[in-house]
Amino acid sequence: MNEILGIAIAAVISWLNFVLIDTWMGLPEAPGVKGADVIGRSIKERGGDLAGGFFQGNIVCSPDASAGTLLAAIGCYAIGTPEGGLIAAVLVYFGNRLCADPGYAGTTGALTITVIIFLTSFIGFKTEYFIIGMVLAIVTIQGLYHPGASRLLGKIAQKMGRHTKLT
Amino acid sequence: MIIHANVFSYLIALAAAIILSLVLRLPLLPDKPMRHSWTISAVFPTAVLAVGFYAMVYELGYQGYVVALITGIITALFAKFILEKVVPVPESEESHE
Repeated sequence: MNEILGIAIAAVISWLNFVLIDTWMGLPEAPGVKGADVIGRSIKERGGDLAGGFFQGNIVCSPDASAGTLLAAIGCYAIGTPEGGLIAAVLVYFGNRLCADPGYAGTTGALTITVIIFLTSFIGFKTEYFIIGMVLAIVTIQGLYHPGASRLLGKIAQKMGRHTKLT
Repeated sequence: MIIHANVFSYLIALAAAIILSLVLRLPLLPDKPMRHSWTISAVFPTAVLAVGFYAMVYELGYQGYVVALITGIITALFAKFILEKVVPVPESEESHE
């Protein structure tokens, strides 16, 4: 498979994997810790969406599906599939609990991307595509334009019934 | 890609952890709504920890069904008696419960 095309598709898959799991697990609903609250409200003040801001704050403050996806991809690359992904899931779980988070989103993200890496390996995807793809995916959320990304995340949260009730 | 995992070993670790944690009276699933629950249950995190711990010992060179069984048993005991002490529920969450 063409490397650039593979990385682009892996980025899209990683993006969907972590955004859908994090939203489903309720990251836009409420800030898990005070830091996430501060980030969410700061993004709202700059013209963003509060639920999307909480989402962005939560993934900064604890290893959720974004970190799970990245660490599982790195684990699979460094150790092998599925051992690397399973070890990453355990490490992400402990990381979550240390960050005042029950750990569902992070471990689910790590396990699902391990399955995806395994399945896509049959059609020529290399594990390293997912490492680069996940870095690109997280840049679109955290690295380009916070208010715009938060509005998109807010719309996804609204559609999935996970928009925040806080004001 | 070469799959060098023994699927049956993972299943044994998984089954041993779930069955023993149920015997130790851990609930099968966390309380609802699950995404906000801090309850330690047989499926989450015990089952996830069991396969993860087996993957660790597998990579350290200890393999086989007996190792998987022992890993599952130790994981269930760990989840029941030690996990809450290692990574306690935050005080703000405890006050809500």
